[in-house]
Amino acid sequence: MGLLALGTALEWEDAKKQAGLVREWGIRQLLEIWNKAKTKERDALLWGDEVEYLVVVYDENDKKVVVSLRQADILKALANDTELTSQGGGVPDLQHTTGADHKTPLPVFHPEFGRFMLEATPGAPWGIGFKELLDVEPDMKLRRAIAKDHMLPTEHPITLTTFPRLGSPGVFTDPYYPVSGPKLRSQFVPDEIANPHIRFPTLAANIRSRRGRKVQVNVPVFRDENTPWPWKDPTVNYDLHNWPEDDDVRNGAAPDNFIHMDAMAFGMGSCCLQITFQAKNITEGRQMYDQLSPLGPILLALTAATPIYKGFLADTDVRWNQISRAVDDRTPEEMGEKPLKNDRWRIPKSRYASNSTYISTDHRLRPEYLDPDLVVDEDIKAKLLQGGMDDRLATHFAHLFIRDPLVIFAEDLEELDLNKTDHFENIQSTNWQHMRFKPPPADNSIGWRVEFRPMEIQITDFENAAFAVFIVLVTRAILSFDLNFYIPIAKVDENMETAHARDAVLQNKFHFRKHLFPAVRAPRSAGPSGANTPVPSRPATPVGPVEDEYRLMSINEIINGTEYARSAASQTKDTLDKPEDEEENDFPGLIPIVEAYLDSMNIDVNTRCELATYLDLIRKRASGELWTAARWIRHFVATHPEYKRDSVVGEEIAHDLVGAVIKVGEREQKGCGFGGLGLEGLDKLLDGFRGGC
Amino acid sequence: MTKTIVLSTGNVVSSGPSIIRKNGAYRSNLELTSSLRNNIREAKEEFANTAAENGQTNGNGTQTPVSVWTEEDGDVLYVPRINWQYGGLQEEPSQYDITVKLFYLATGTSSSTRVKHTREALSLVQKELRIQQVDLLIISFPGMSFEGDCEWEADKQNAGQGNDEEELPTWSALELLQKEGLVKNMGIAEYGSEKLTRLLERAALKPTVDQINIKNCCNVPPPLVELAKKHNIELLVHTDCTDILPKGTLRELLGQGPQGAGVLADKGSNSPGLRGDLIPQWVIKYTAVVRDRGVIENKGYFAGAELRDA
Repeated sequence: MGLLALGTALEWEDAKKQAGLVREWGIRQLLEIWNKAKTKERDALLWGDEVEYLVVVYDENDKKVVVSLRQADILKALANDTELTSQGGGVPDLQHTTGADHKTPLPVFHPEFGRFMLEATPGAPWGIGFKELLDVEPDMKLRRAIAKDHMLPTEHPITLTTFPRLGSPGVFTDPYYPVSGPKLRSQFVPDEIANPHIRFPTLAANIRSRRGRKVQVNVPVFRDENTPWPWKDPTVNYDLHNWPEDDDVRNGAAPDNFIHMDAMAFGMGSCCLQITFQAKNITEGRQMYDQLSPLGPILLALTAATPIYKGFLADTDVRWNQISRAVDDRTPEEMGEKPLKNDRWRIPKSRYASNSTYISTDHRLRPEYLDPDLVVDEDIKAKLLQGGMDDRLATHFAHLFIRDPLVIFAEDLEELDLNKTDHFENIQSTNWQHMRFKPPPADNSIGWRVEFRPMEIQITDFENAAFAVFIVLVTRAILSFDLNFYIPIAKVDENMETAHARDAVLQNKFHFRKHLFPAVRAPRSAGPSGANTPVPSRPATPVGPVEDEYRLMSINEIINGTEYARSAASQTKDTLDKPEDEEENDFPGLIPIVEAYLDSMNIDVNTRCELATYLDLIRKRASGELWTAARWIRHFVATHPEYKRDSVVGEEIAHDLVGAVIKVGEREQKGCGFGGLGLEGLDKLLDGFRGGC
Repeated sequence: MTKTIVLSTGNVVSSGPSIIRKNGAYRSNLELTSSLRNNIREAKEEFANTAAENGQTNGNGTQTPVSVWTEEDGDVLYVPRINWQYGGLQEEPSQYDITVKLFYLATGTSSSTRVKHTREALSLVQKELRIQQVDLLIISFPGMSFEGDCEWEADKQNAGQGNDEEELPTWSALELLQKEGLVKNMGIAEYGSEKLTRLLERAALKPTVDQINIKNCCNVPPPLVELAKKHNIELLVHTDCTDILPKGTLRELLGQGPQGAGVLADKGSNSPGLRGDLIPQWVIKYTAVVRDRGVIENKGYFAGAELRDA
């Protein structure tokens, strides 16, 4: 999350009045950059990963763990250190502890919404040299080492998606602040949970104001043997009267059997793993955006790591919907709860949701795939068309621009600057869909980019590198083999919901396209020659009903292929129905496709073996031979002596879970294996990967 | 009289299942054989309708006369016919890494014949991709493998394989191609530490690449690793068969059987088609990768076989 310059942030009543202006200026800035960059060609593949961390305060002997709110101090220490580094010193013994190469640019650290979070990116983008793909994991480890180095001895950067007891009664932050502040008005978290930069509290406050009530983040609770049923969230206070919004819970905001949360921090305080690719040109960028979109829910379920909220086991495994609800600024009219009177339209999804558009110029994009309920600002679309943009891309941006800008700085409204993209980015970057199509910056210095956003952060850098590299290889296979993943957007939405189910990776099935390869391949070199020879004529490919193009598949089948999923090696309980025409319905699997890509490239033995290790991890997670982080965390809680089978993740369990994660991280930093830590079920999470000492 | 048959696959990158490895198969010629079969089938279909218009057939691809979808040019028969107008790369050649791998299939072939085959094969690739130079030519000699329970075993077995006396003169003669600028770098396939040592001792031309097949175990024998490091030779991975186009497979591909192309006559029958002994000579695999994007734009095979009077 980039920081805008400081200024006077408008409160919602004032911001609302300026929304139209910001949209209009944003569109003009978009057209400006679009005109400048639409003919940009032949940009190299460059890509980057973003890793987000929680900063926890952990002491092995104190049976309590909390998050640290010292983000600003840690970043200051890192910034000061960068100055030192450039003068040839400052990061002590890094070379020694991580084996990192100082010739490569040092990683970059960024603030995040949560004041207990950090984000780190590589110092320079990655390319597609295969040896370079192997630099990702050491670089991630280096980032973690540098971050740790600039913290107090008791502070640790960890990559759990959420802090297990965020918002639980009592003390969960250091320093402690009381709840129910003026910005968030949350009864569970203090205002100080958010980054104090004016942008963040304003964002949270304006979402709440626009919505007319607090956000409602309700997650179904996991029902264990001793969980009282119906379950009423025991942490909800119905007698609070500090703010008008305190009425929300009295008006039914906290239904039975749901863990109730009421602030943006519960969503935007989650850590994820995001990958951004630079495309060759706008056409390739649009193709990648579309083709990666159906993979989003699959990778979400496969990286599942979020089974605990606010000290309770949830009945879902991933973070996605919680973030979606935590930033849902829709009014009751827009949500369809009240008849439309003041608002312009009903909006089916939150600003944070799965994609609603396909944007490619690909002839394989059938109109039937598009969302029939797409809401579009027709005036804005007309302006984009008038500016020369094609219908499909204009529709995409006119859809994003149905939203209001949430944070407006008064200073930026004085004059429209077409050498900036600030107003465009204001809307664009607060549309948090699972893919993001990014135009070049105003100076056109880099290419068109696509961001892949659904993946959950993994506990180790080994896993994070594996998933990052896997997605990179999948994009190369998509472009090389001209793969077609299109299914109707409505089915991608449905898959996104399915991905939330507990252990969806093994227990659920997803809509997925049956045939990825072109029915007819691109011009063959065998054809007629000369005027007198026969001219080939090929009947047009018959187009059947869209419903025949996809079917339900397990993630094992999608990742490893039908043949593998059918074989005995596979641990999934899923029994595959024998299709009538077996070969015809066999799905090749994403990993075999990636291997076919690798088989065609010149790769040295070592590199290929390392890449095979990453693919192995993903293969085993998909087949159930290994567990997702979510399953491991559930297992850790269930086998903890303090757990009473009542869905409660108490302070001691949370402490030990975080302690386990820290120990795993320390082992990884040392380059040792994960064996012998005595951690319950760890072998099912990480197997024998990364050796032992 | 001897006739040369040139088979081609066209660009196989988007041809689907034939490029996907079967579960557990670590080396195979499936990609070659199925893409040859597909290309022949598609050519027959493409030309079926026009042939029907000319009254030559009923429009059903299987009936398309061989003369319509193949092309004879002197002593060479192209199966199927190739339209060179469709060739070429999307960007200028400097943007690509172009690798070709030449499989010599027959043993007992003189080095001059092999150089001739290499030139024929290279010129087909040059014509298809519209390029002057390939970045890397990898040579695969017959009778070689790098197989065993583990790579240690593979290295040991490898030492006694092939025939140095045939391979070394060929390797040395190929230097000319590099001098002429047809090839930037030369590589070798399936050479274990002993064979590579002998090659380095006796030949002036140094390979920049040694391409070996590895199974699950990633342990390359240390002697090979050290040797490669010392001589700056990159050890690359491949999953090809050395005997990529056996005689029987080729005959089946072109014969009168249900899967066959109907180009060759069945032995000892009155069936139509060419008669004689068909001997596969070489296969060339070419791959054009956009260098800084890692995208395979074009990949395919040509194969050359000799039809001798029986």
